[in-house]
Amino acid sequence: MRRSSSKKKSAESVATDLFRSASSKASTKEMDRIDQLFNQYANRSSNLIDPEGIEKLCSNLDVSHTDIRILMLAWKMKAEKQGYFTNEEWRRGLKALRADTLNKLKKALPELEKEVRRPTNFADFYAYAFNYCLTEEKQKSIDIETICQLLEIVMGSTFRAQVDYFVEYLKIQNDYKVINMDQWMGLYRFCNEISFPDMGNYNPELAWPLILDNFVEWIAEKQA
Amino acid sequence: MSNQKKRNFQIEAFKHRVVVDPKYADKTWQILERAIHQIYNQDASGLSFEELYRNAYNMVLHKFGEKLYTGFIVTMTAHLKEKSKLIEAAQGGSFLEELNKKWNEHNKALEMIRDILMYMDRTYIESTKKTHVHPMGFSLWRDNVVHFTKIHTRLLNTLLDLVQKERTGEVIDRGLMRSVIKMFMDLGESVYQEDFEKPFLDASSEFYKVESQEFIESCDCGDYLKKAEKRLTEEIDRVAHYLDPKSEEKITSVVEKEMIANHMQRLVHMENSGLVYMLLHDKYEDLGRMYNLFRRVTNGLLTVRDVMTSHLREMGKQLVTDPEKSKDPVEFVQRLLDERDKYDKVISTAFGNDKTFQNALNSSFEHFINLNARSPEFISLFVDDKLRKGLKGFVDVDVEVILDKVMMLFRYLQEKDVFEKYYKQHLAKRLLSGKTVSDDAERSLIVKLKTECGYQFTSKLEGMFTDMKTSEDTMRGFYGSHPELSEGPTLIVQVLTTGSWPTQPAVPCNLPAEVSVLCEKFRSYYLGTHTGRRLTWQTNMGTADIKALFGKGQKHELNVSTFQMCVLMLFNNADRLSYKEIEQATEIPASDLKRCLQSLACVKGKNVIKKEPMSKDIGEEDSFYVNEKFTSKFYKVKIGTVVAQKETEPEKQETRQRVEEDRKPQIEAAIVRIMKSRKILDHNNIIAEVTKQLQPRFLANPTEIKKRIESLIERDFLERDSTDRKLYRYLA
Repeated sequence: MRRSSSKKKSAESVATDLFRSASSKASTKEMDRIDQLFNQYANRSSNLIDPEGIEKLCSNLDVSHTDIRILMLAWKMKAEKQGYFTNEEWRRGLKALRADTLNKLKKALPELEKEVRRPTNFADFYAYAFNYCLTEEKQKSIDIETICQLLEIVMGSTFRAQVDYFVEYLKIQNDYKVINMDQWMGLYRFCNEISFPDMGNYNPELAWPLILDNFVEWIAEKQA
Repeated sequence: MSNQKKRNFQIEAFKHRVVVDPKYADKTWQILERAIHQIYNQDASGLSFEELYRNAYNMVLHKFGEKLYTGFIVTMTAHLKEKSKLIEAAQGGSFLEELNKKWNEHNKALEMIRDILMYMDRTYIESTKKTHVHPMGFSLWRDNVVHFTKIHTRLLNTLLDLVQKERTGEVIDRGLMRSVIKMFMDLGESVYQEDFEKPFLDASSEFYKVESQEFIESCDCGDYLKKAEKRLTEEIDRVAHYLDPKSEEKITSVVEKEMIANHMQRLVHMENSGLVYMLLHDKYEDLGRMYNLFRRVTNGLLTVRDVMTSHLREMGKQLVTDPEKSKDPVEFVQRLLDERDKYDKVISTAFGNDKTFQNALNSSFEHFINLNARSPEFISLFVDDKLRKGLKGFVDVDVEVILDKVMMLFRYLQEKDVFEKYYKQHLAKRLLSGKTVSDDAERSLIVKLKTECGYQFTSKLEGMFTDMKTSEDTMRGFYGSHPELSEGPTLIVQVLTTGSWPTQPAVPCNLPAEVSVLCEKFRSYYLGTHTGRRLTWQTNMGTADIKALFGKGQKHELNVSTFQMCVLMLFNNADRLSYKEIEQATEIPASDLKRCLQSLACVKGKNVIKKEPMSKDIGEEDSFYVNEKFTSKFYKVKIGTVVAQKETEPEKQETRQRVEEDRKPQIEAAIVRIMKSRKILDHNNIIAEVTKQLQPRFLANPTEIKKRIESLIERDFLERDSTDRKLYRYLA
């Protein structure tokens, strides 16, 4: 009578098994560390990293909390609510960055920035930044003040002149009190496609959002 | 010859060659030659046609055709040379006569000769393909006479000279001219054209060039045109009398070119006599003449039309932008109608109802009517005036005429929706005050508007009429079920459906007790039969008839607005009231109250109330009392202020704003309609299609359309295409 069934295993499968168990052990260990890191900043009662926690994280990372890199981190995490990171989001982001300690996270930031700045990703990031600022349910637009700040953060380093002009315009115009996604994306196209400040290749008869038509007209008047 | 046996008849030819005596030919020819001489010398009477014919026949038969032919040519040539010398020797006037005489003689002779030589014509000449006798006779004449150097130029100059004389008014021998010119025509079309027609046209061209220059310097436009017309008629007459009909078109072209085409611009623009002058002064005859003449030249009518159009646009622009003229809307519109009638008459009387001119008139009117943004309002006020009183006493047919004219102006409007708004307001006032002259006329106009703009345009207007009718029925029902009320004040209520009538915010107002009791009774009656409805009293739109008794016993019936009634009724319980007291008691808002008091106290002849102090304006410290000394010629005195008037500046702004607001959903509806059927469309095309769809109501602004598109994107009706930024997609 056969008492034990011997499963005949090949050497390979044994090795794979070993590897898997080792790597899963390792990944479990990694996840543990990630979780530990999470708990350092998270609020005990809500089990979320709240704005206070984020500020602490920023100072530990040696980064201002209005720095674009924090926003990029949020993007990597696919964080939904501005100012908060859930455990899941935290795990998602740090795992993708392969950072399970504060140091590794710090070191991962420049790489992250490079990744986000790639043209294919930046458009996505840019749109993400807008949605990230929508705080109320069913909210579709963002007030002018917040837009100005957001613009500064997201585009300030790459499109200095356009951002300065646009922010000035937004503050003095009266037609719009909020900006919607369509206009936000229009601005991105504008910065990328239209030569500035001459704007010779801008055609107001095309499908540019009206706010940009008005913006261009305002600049033209200023220059005259 | 004996015929052996019975055979078919055969005539055998001579078995030997029959040689004709060579001298035979010469002899025969001499006979003929002599005959020709005699014919030319008018001495043919003794000749025997039969003999000569036989001789010619024999010559040809015996193979001497060539000799005959050549001889004929030589002889004729010799004669013609002689004749030409004679012609050339003729002096002065007789030159032409000689030529003509000799030509006629030649023709006669030629005919005789042709008859004699007919056999040769038909056989020898046929087979050798030489020129036939008659044409040869003409060619010989042409070569030896007409083209004879000493005759050629002289002939042409003589003819042209005579034409010139006739043009300057002298009488010439037309018969002679006709004969000579006919000679050219007979000699052949190319001869006519080369030797006469072309030089004639050139000389005429020169003549008219000079004459037109003279005229244009000395005449005004009307006279010049008369002269040009006269010359044209003359030339046509000339052709009829003595030229080839084919020349008519050519010579008229010359006159048209020199007299009209070359001076077109100058004539049309002539100061104090050109087209504009003629239009302003209704110079139908001159205009008709100009039309007929200019029609003949390329771009003639185009020139006239263009000048007329720019004049119309200029005049129209001045008319509509002149602030003086915009003071009285009815005058303004009447002026427009008068101008249109005037130009209509010009086109039908002088321009033969030419469609292109009609179109130019219409496009000019459309252009300048829309230069004044108040045109829609004014046209509605004009209609209002007519329907209130202007059409009183008019026969049906005449009413239709006026309404059709109004429709014509309406068609020119680009902002038809603005007109609709004003029309509704004015119609409401007319209906509610019962001040319309003819119900039929009102309905007729609505039908016309419906035909022009479709059902949607007029459905609300028709709703207003229905409400009036329904209200009548309601009133009957009310008094029917409340017979006890027939003793007290009579209440007439019009129940208005909110959507159909121009909206006005309800204004607070305390009705006097007697009235408010009645109103409450009505309210409960109405709501009893119509559950689920809400009634709001529009005290700012009502009127009242009050019987008043003044100090010296004067009795009058006062027709006043509801507000005025409220104020007046207060004086049943008080002799004197201050402004503040009145305000408190009636709760009528300040601006309305002031206006109401002003019309009661400050208008001469209607001041049933007196005011202290006696200033023109109502101040908040003023006090009021009944004017016991009030008098009026009439028993019934009208003090109400419900007539439609030209809007004040702030009112105008408000209406304009409402119109703009109303347009937004219309634009959006158009965008959605278009995108729903097209699914994907690029920006420029959307703008074009939307503008086209809305054109019957108003001219859509591309910027406004863009705003609406963006709003629709925000509300997820549309989206931009992710790759091609010019495209929009419909989101189902």
